[in-house]
Amino acid sequence: MTTPILGRVVATERRPNTPHEFHFWTALDAPIGIGTIVRVESARPIAGVLPTIYGVVTEGFGYTDLQTPLHDVLGADGEPAGSAFAPTERTEIRLYTAAVLRHVPEEPLQPVPMGTVHLATEADVHAALRMDSYVGGSAARGIPVGLYRAGGTEAAVHLDADFLLGPEAAHLSISGVSGLATKTSAVEWLLGSIFAHFPASKGRVAAVCFNVKGPDLCFLDQPATSLTEEDRAIYARLGVPAAPFANVHYFAPWSAKGGQLATLRSNEALQHNVTPLTWGLRETLQYAEVLLNKDDVDAKADALIDFIKERVLDQVFSDPALERAHEVRSFSDLEQWFRELLRGLEARNSDVWRTHHIATIRKVRNRLTNISTRCKGLVTDDGMVSDLPFGSMQDRAVYVVDVANLEEDAQDLVFARIVSQLREHLEKRQLGVEQVIVFVDELNKYAPADGPDTYVRKMLLDIAERGRYLGLVLFGAQQFRSQVHRRVVGNSGSTLYGRMDPDELATPGYQTLAPATKARLATLEKGQLMVRHPHFGQPIFVRFPRPAVLTGREGVERFPQAEEMALDAAITRALRRLDPTISLGWVQDALALAGEDEDGILRARNRTLQAKPDDVKAFFKAQLRKRATPEVAARRGPTPLRVPASDDPYG
Amino acid sequence: MNAGRRMGPSYASSEGAASVRATLRALRDSGVAPSGAAAPLEVQPRSDEPPRLEAAVPIEGERIAVRTIPEPPVAGVAAFLDGIQRSQVVAHVDGVPLVHGAVAAAIRLRVDRRLRTWDAPRLRRALFAPLALLPAPLAEALRARVQVHDLGEVPSRHPQEITARALTAVQRAREAAEGELVSAWTARGAGTLVVDGGIAGHADGARHDGVIGVVKSHRTLYTGEDALPLLLGLREGERSTAVRVTSPRRHPVASWYLRLRDPAGRSPLFGLVRVEVSPETRDLTARADLVSRWLLAERAPVALPDQRWDVMVYGIRDCEQYLTAILA
Repeated sequence: MTTPILGRVVATERRPNTPHEFHFWTALDAPIGIGTIVRVESARPIAGVLPTIYGVVTEGFGYTDLQTPLHDVLGADGEPAGSAFAPTERTEIRLYTAAVLRHVPEEPLQPVPMGTVHLATEADVHAALRMDSYVGGSAARGIPVGLYRAGGTEAAVHLDADFLLGPEAAHLSISGVSGLATKTSAVEWLLGSIFAHFPASKGRVAAVCFNVKGPDLCFLDQPATSLTEEDRAIYARLGVPAAPFANVHYFAPWSAKGGQLATLRSNEALQHNVTPLTWGLRETLQYAEVLLNKDDVDAKADALIDFIKERVLDQVFSDPALERAHEVRSFSDLEQWFRELLRGLEARNSDVWRTHHIATIRKVRNRLTNISTRCKGLVTDDGMVSDLPFGSMQDRAVYVVDVANLEEDAQDLVFARIVSQLREHLEKRQLGVEQVIVFVDELNKYAPADGPDTYVRKMLLDIAERGRYLGLVLFGAQQFRSQVHRRVVGNSGSTLYGRMDPDELATPGYQTLAPATKARLATLEKGQLMVRHPHFGQPIFVRFPRPAVLTGREGVERFPQAEEMALDAAITRALRRLDPTISLGWVQDALALAGEDEDGILRARNRTLQAKPDDVKAFFKAQLRKRATPEVAARRGPTPLRVPASDDPYG
Repeated sequence: MNAGRRMGPSYASSEGAASVRATLRALRDSGVAPSGAAAPLEVQPRSDEPPRLEAAVPIEGERIAVRTIPEPPVAGVAAFLDGIQRSQVVAHVDGVPLVHGAVAAAIRLRVDRRLRTWDAPRLRRALFAPLALLPAPLAEALRARVQVHDLGEVPSRHPQEITARALTAVQRAREAAEGELVSAWTARGAGTLVVDGGIAGHADGARHDGVIGVVKSHRTLYTGEDALPLLLGLREGERSTAVRVTSPRRHPVASWYLRLRDPAGRSPLFGLVRVEVSPETRDLTARADLVSRWLLAERAPVALPDQRWDVMVYGIRDCEQYLTAILA
């Protein structure tokens, strides 16, 4: 291909070329910069073939024939303005260092020969990044990540789906300073690209995103208001629809008061796809390790907790120390069980029950029953469960779990349980999709390089190391990559970097980058990324468009958060999602008649929302009556926790 | 995009057929063992003519006087010409040194404040040897393989005599190369050309208004004893009035001394150059003032790190750098 000669390869004894790096000079006005991809053409055939070498510019030098700056000072008589009048400009050189992306042919691998340097064309970029093996053709599996632009060349850069979502490699690590539209924007863009380009032949794919702060991911189904023509052009060029996600489901726990969901997506106009996220005792106790650290729970306490999980939970349990048989299904049941057990031990004047010391029993009671307080809104006393649709997840759907308003412990619990459930379902091939992307922001918090070996960190390490075989793919974002466990970032097949903090770039993890590349990383504009991918021999800079979804900041302005409302109003709002004819007056009458306390009212609402009955009014009233009537109160015996209402079609 | 043109060789590759490598190969093939690497003859000590004063005829007034350049420096030079030479003994045959000489000359034209090569640089490489002192078969073999410059008859077989002759021949080759370019400039160039050294040796240059010679070394000072203190006392930005410099084998030129830089605390020759222009100038004073202003403007950028930076204009240094690169 004939393209203008832009430079010539040079090598000296002091600065020789190697098979991995070469140097070239250009005219002063050559459109070359850090990150530019170039092609070297040699006129000397090797084994009968003229070699072509592709490289990416990693460093640039410019200097004149001056030996010391002092000479320039002397020449200008110490007056900086003096040099401006010199009739001749000093001889100046632009010398660049490029890292080799690819040799064609690949063998024999020799130092880069002397030759002419050309700007890479679009076809060159494809060849240089080895995209020719997975972009286009019948086995196409390229996922556009951005647009390479340099010196008038524009080329789509694709990631290999097999190396982004498995099984060859997997996982994505995104680093960048906060507030510069890197991490969240890049993930939103890339998810859209994956949904548009992931080959149907490779199965179904969904994403589970944890919204850990602010309203970042709260408006993924709303169109962006600030897309420019350039953004739209990039979308069109890369074949990704400039549209919000069509299938988004939100999950959020209740607020501590329980009246409404604890999410910034609380505007009434957006409630159609927001579902409560609540778990009962069984779901919580399964992951008690997340909430109980080793200081809390010693071996003895651990043994008692295991006993409760295996012998007490969700089954009829009788013991001479207990007055009656218990069926523990909720935190309330568990509290009753503990209370009666301790009363029985005291009555017998015994310190030990089934080898467990009474002090251990008291400690475990304290720690376990305390969970429902620490995770209020997420963990319910009454065992009510509202969960992600494990087993029926939909292709190209996004499931956003908003944990931004939860305490740290509760966030850990949500994270651990959901990811574990995803894994278990994927292992059984029962998730509903074959690939699931888990996006976690602030990964340095969940999988820190230092600190205690928590359950969450162990789980993330496990995903990072084995998830690709299951189709469980981790997209982790963090401000400081160096603060994330190295086995997590090390197992990320692909990495995106936005603008980086210079202090972060000074850490050992970035030693392989040339100083100029680091300098560019420290000053990257919004919408630019540096990409590492297994097929790319070197990091590549690309441009990506603004996400086609409403930003969190714009979203909260356009869809203001619902005011904290009175209980009756909150109940009305919740029930109207099931039955729009329900009015505030009707709810007020129902509550007045039932005379139920606040917890009872919330329980009734939760059960109604979970059951989604045909006759919402009747079901809700029945739930209220159930809690108020003596026979329901007598349910503390070994009767099923959830007595189906007569009008409950799901009972 | 004109990058391709800029990247192409700016001189004909056919020139310089007698590269050092080719010469050494030819010698080896002829059964002559090359000498080890030797220092260029140009840097070896030699006995030069002693410094001297030579009176010249004032042509700008009746006697030599000091003149302050009346107006500030101004850029007016279009191009610069310089030549370089390299010679080294590459072998000895029966004690007779064989000298490889290379010369190059180039004009660097200023375009948008940057210098680029005008026309093709002149490049010559040859083996300099007294062929009569070499075995005939070897002389024939060398002639067939490389460019050979016969030094002709030499007064003796003393090796230093022969190398001195060779060095002079190389120097003449350089002057010839420079002269070719001066002629080309006077025929086709536009604007004023500054030549490193005198122009009296170039017939075309010595008669052309668009050629200026700048002499940096002063083994011969063109003044009498009486005017010497005046000349050495020139201050920065001052010049002497012009004299006519003549020589038996050279063309007459108008010449004056110009102090480019303040010599305070340094040698009295610091920053002193002698300028040569065609004597056929209508208003010599105005011409000398203008040329002096042009040269004063060329003090920046300073030609450091060249040791002669006080008297060398940057354009000449650029020529040298360029020629050094293409002669490497």
